Amino acid sequence: MIPVSIQMRQALGKLVLPLLVLLSLVILIAGQADRKLADQARMTVADGLAPLWGLITSVQTHVQGVSTSLREASRMASENTRLQTENENLRRWYDVAVSLTRENDALKTALHWIPEPTPAFVTGRVVADSGGIYARAVLLVAGTESGVKVGNVALAANGLAGRVTETGAHSSRILLITDIASRLPVLLEASHATAIMGGDNTAFPRLMYYAQETRPVEGERVVTSDQAGAFPAGLPIGTVHYLHPGQPVVLPFARLDHLPLLRVFDFGQGLIDPPEAPGHVPLAHPHKSTTLPLKTLLGQG
Amino acid sequence: MMPDPSMSAWEPELRPRQTLWQRLDHGARRLLPSVFIALIIIFFSAPLTIPGSAELLPALVMATIFFWSFWRPSGMPGIAVFLLGLFMDLVGFTPLGVSAFILLLVHGVAFYARFGLMRLNFLLVWGVFGLVAIAACLLQWGLACLFRLDLLDIAPALFEALLAIGVYPLLSAMFSWVLHRMDEKEDP
Repeated sequence: MIPVSIQMRQALGKLVLPLLVLLSLVILIAGQADRKLADQARMTVADGLAPLWGLITSVQTHVQGVSTSLREASRMASENTRLQTENENLRRWYDVAVSLTRENDALKTALHWIPEPTPAFVTGRVVADSGGIYARAVLLVAGTESGVKVGNVALAANGLAGRVTETGAHSSRILLITDIASRLPVLLEASHATAIMGGDNTAFPRLMYYAQETRPVEGERVVTSDQAGAFPAGLPIGTVHYLHPGQPVVLPFARLDHLPLLRVFDFGQGLIDPPEAPGHVPLAHPHKSTTLPLKTLLGQG
Repeated sequence: MMPDPSMSAWEPELRPRQTLWQRLDHGARRLLPSVFIALIIIFFSAPLTIPGSAELLPALVMATIFFWSFWRPSGMPGIAVFLLGLFMDLVGFTPLGVSAFILLLVHGVAFYARFGLMRLNFLLVWGVFGLVAIAACLLQWGLACLFRLDLLDIAPALFEALLAIGVYPLLSAMFSWVLHRMDEKEDP
């Protein structure tokens, strides 16, 4: 250490702080005058500290991950208890279903029930329909080669979508239930009343010709009816909704604006021919006249 | 005239030489506050997701420097304050030298008023620190306005001052405990 007197050292000690303040002011002004140098100094320091910051950030992400997984674990525990109770509940329902199936089988055996044929179906990809005479129709990549026939029923994942109107070798056109040319006999499930569901090119087909004493109830399920033999009974279509008082429409279960795939079912309705009855004169062929009104019209014109 | 035997203890030559370990220990004690601040600066300049960390850092540094400057100036010499301020400016995005200047002023106030401050009770010291913190934040805001040549929003500066006033009792309690432990070790 440099030998200096105590007085000198004290004087120097008192000078240190003002000098440092002055120095900081000088740096302040110099930094404003030469920004490039200041930025360079900043970047050098930042480069040096980058690994430390990386360490801090990684610790932070780790801590966040741990806290997130802890929260997730508590959420999963509550979810697990919920699922367990639901599972118990479902197990009870499973037992009920099994016993009901047994009972149903027993009853059918007792009644000498003739089993219904299981319908054959093909699944095809939907491609957009650009041409054609219908406003709401789609083209399916499955045709007569795959066994699709005119009049077959097309089902989406959870409801009726439409029926086949024209078939090619590898494609078929399906008239959706929302098209203005679509008129389907339907059954209101709660009241067992019949009605006609007619499309009007909007997303919600209207309900028409229902009996005045059994008006459709809001939220009621609508299924197909086997009147006129076009559809098997009981295919789910949608629920009743009143857009305006006195104007019931059907909210279709199938998302008809996003149809990626369709299943085309052949329920074999056309094969059921009524036996000849002496003296009975059929007015028209029931099947063809109901399913293809426009095609016959076009064929005549 | 015989020299007073009790006076011999005051002769610096007769003090036992410090061992290396003792010297390291002393050095560590003197550097403790500076290292604490440096670590805080590095920690808070990392990209954290803590809300308000930009305002919390100057508040913490200011409170720490104020406490050590008046209570134990040997642990917070002016040169350390200067270097820490410069480091803060380099790491942060304040103009170079601003933090050094302001922290040196805070340090100077605490250092020159320390004999008066030590006699006051805690609440009064806290009040003095509050005034110093508000003045420092206003000065920082004024300098920022001067450099931008534009009137900036004053709310962040006031928020920073409030944070500094808020963290001071916590830091004060922590550092008092540290000082107590140090002194306990110093003279067992």
